[in-house]
Amino acid sequence: MKITDIIDQAACTFAPAGPVAGFDIGSRGSKGVLLTPDSIYTVFIPTGLYMQETADELLARLLKAAKLRRRDIGFVVGTGYGRISLAYKDLPYQVVTEITCHAAGAHALNPRTRTIIDIGGQDSKAIKVDPATGKVLEFVMNDKCAAGTGRFLEKAAVLLGLELDQLGTVALEADEPAVISSQCVVFAESEMISLRARGERHKDGAARANIAAGIHFASARRVKSLLGRVGTEPDLVFTGGVANNPGMRHALETLIGARFVPSPIDMIYAGALGAAVHAGRHHAAAVKAGTARPPAAAPRKRAATAERKPALAEIS
Amino acid sequence: MAQPQSSLAADLLPIHALIEAEQKSFIESEDARKRAGYFCAYTPPEILNAAGLRHARLFKAGTPEIVSAGERYTQSVFCDFSKSCIGSFDQEDGDPFYKSVDKLYTFHTCASMKRASEVIEQFVPTTLLNLPRLRGEAASRAFFREEIVHYKNDVAELAGRTVTDGDVSAQIVLYNKIRRLLRQFSDLRKRPSPPLNGLDFLELVRGFYYLPPETLLSTYQPLYEKLARVPDDGARPVRLMISGSIMADGDRRLVDLIEREIGARVVVEDHCTGLKPFAHTLREDGDPFAALADGYLDQAPCARMKPLEDSLDFSTGLAEEYGVDGVIYVYLKFCACYGVSKLEFLDRLQSRGIPVLELSSDYSVSDIGQIKTRVEAFLEVLEGRREDIAPLLADAGQPVHG
Repeated sequence: MKITDIIDQAACTFAPAGPVAGFDIGSRGSKGVLLTPDSIYTVFIPTGLYMQETADELLARLLKAAKLRRRDIGFVVGTGYGRISLAYKDLPYQVVTEITCHAAGAHALNPRTRTIIDIGGQDSKAIKVDPATGKVLEFVMNDKCAAGTGRFLEKAAVLLGLELDQLGTVALEADEPAVISSQCVVFAESEMISLRARGERHKDGAARANIAAGIHFASARRVKSLLGRVGTEPDLVFTGGVANNPGMRHALETLIGARFVPSPIDMIYAGALGAAVHAGRHHAAAVKAGTARPPAAAPRKRAATAERKPALAEIS
Repeated sequence: MAQPQSSLAADLLPIHALIEAEQKSFIESEDARKRAGYFCAYTPPEILNAAGLRHARLFKAGTPEIVSAGERYTQSVFCDFSKSCIGSFDQEDGDPFYKSVDKLYTFHTCASMKRASEVIEQFVPTTLLNLPRLRGEAASRAFFREEIVHYKNDVAELAGRTVTDGDVSAQIVLYNKIRRLLRQFSDLRKRPSPPLNGLDFLELVRGFYYLPPETLLSTYQPLYEKLARVPDDGARPVRLMISGSIMADGDRRLVDLIEREIGARVVVEDHCTGLKPFAHTLREDGDPFAALADGYLDQAPCARMKPLEDSLDFSTGLAEEYGVDGVIYVYLKFCACYGVSKLEFLDRLQSRGIPVLELSSDYSVSDIGQIKTRVEAFLEVLEGRREDIAPLLADAGQPVHG
């Protein structure tokens, strides 16, 4: 997809001088973003057992979609919990934490972003961003437990006999969200089981919706507590895989009392996009310093133009 | 026995070896000298040394096994350190070093440590002593002096000898020398390129709590002179202060992560197992018991002391004195002192423009990945600030080629 399809050309500060890639190797899913001077490509696959293989698979799919060769890639940045195991012999690369990357990704799409809630497979974070630079000012991550994370919602969906992507939609049908007080996934599971046991057969649909909504509110309360130090200054942006869950979005907006700004792309890719933005910056610095990999025959006219005048200087 | 710490600078290895030998001798030596142990940095070793005892601070912890041994006796809401203190005395799974202690003295600070001492009484004779909270009150000082006299009498009885005022005064002078020397070591870390890292300084402090003071002075002095001569190597590492609760002997994973994996430096500690207990020197004249009472109440305060304002002032003052880029405020889960006052610390540091990362931790190993992500992200924030402060250095972010 063209970058100009998702963001005003005037607002775009992240188009790289040449093709660069960002990988966000998450606990559940892995995301890849490839940026060229005018296009953005995304890919999602479940995280495999071996992180490097997962990253190789992401790169292969992105290259195929963009009709590029491996040696065209100017720089790779890896993020996410699997970032540590990333290593390339043939590509310049760096690893950056997902906190910095989510900020960079959200900022690239919407430079007015000041507050980010990111909910992924195994953790949730609140990030305060400097709108002038896209840099992180402050962040808070959840404790080492699953409440308030995608994993918690996955467990809940299984118990309710729902697919994960149905859970949020079902929750929106609730007329009276169940009260789930446990902050612990294991205890919340027992609460759900007893709530389910109480549900009368003919009311099954309503009971399920109410339990689903209760689960989202329990998670959202947990996430909201992260905002204590970070604040809720607008624009407020929701990133990570759980951003696609309308039940969670609704619960968070209700509890925070503010709305998330709609995003031009699926925000599961925010971290990978931020990683690609960082890759673009490193590539630009290398071009400037004359240490960039020799460009493998500039694929497009625009790339050559961009290399002379890197558009990236403004975001650093 | 503590794990050999291969991460220490070569210059520190002889000191590490001395500490290990001293611990072995503490356990195995068949001399007639009694062994005294204590938990808290508010316990004056001056008295123990004046009585000629073998003595050591008992602050080994950091492994989940010892925590489990202590969990037999506690609720889950005790911190892992207090559980480890109990577990180390456990007759089956305990630490031989702890089990060789003849008597435990503890000026207790928090409720968990007080209760831990009460449990430990079944394993080893224990004297629990009171430490006043209101450090500014004249009545606190008079009372604390009485507690210290009581402690001295108890110690003298254990040692089977008398301890005179003159003996105590001489020890105050001796320990002051060590405090000054440790401060001098720490001062070296104010240089832009510190000649010793945080792990090294923690080892020096560890030596303070295990080595006889005479041995310590004779080995530390030449090391200080050597380090003072180390030229600036031009490196400008990110400078961090660690603030918060105890960093036990054996709990090195955070500093390891910061210094060995990420490449930043811990240049100062605002906790009771780093620089903090050495920031103050005692009065050397007059009544030695009053000098101990005043000196220990005037030392950089634990967060359990009142007013908390004093702890906050000390913390920010230290961060500014050492020119740190940021502070990592780390406390053990369920710590009733540092866990509960965390917001006051975070707010105070941030109000002075000092970025701070809050970490809650324990001695399990499962959270190391998350701690790593937090610390790395914090370092990215600090590096970003440095770039903003010195835009000309922005180009130093050279790509790393694989």
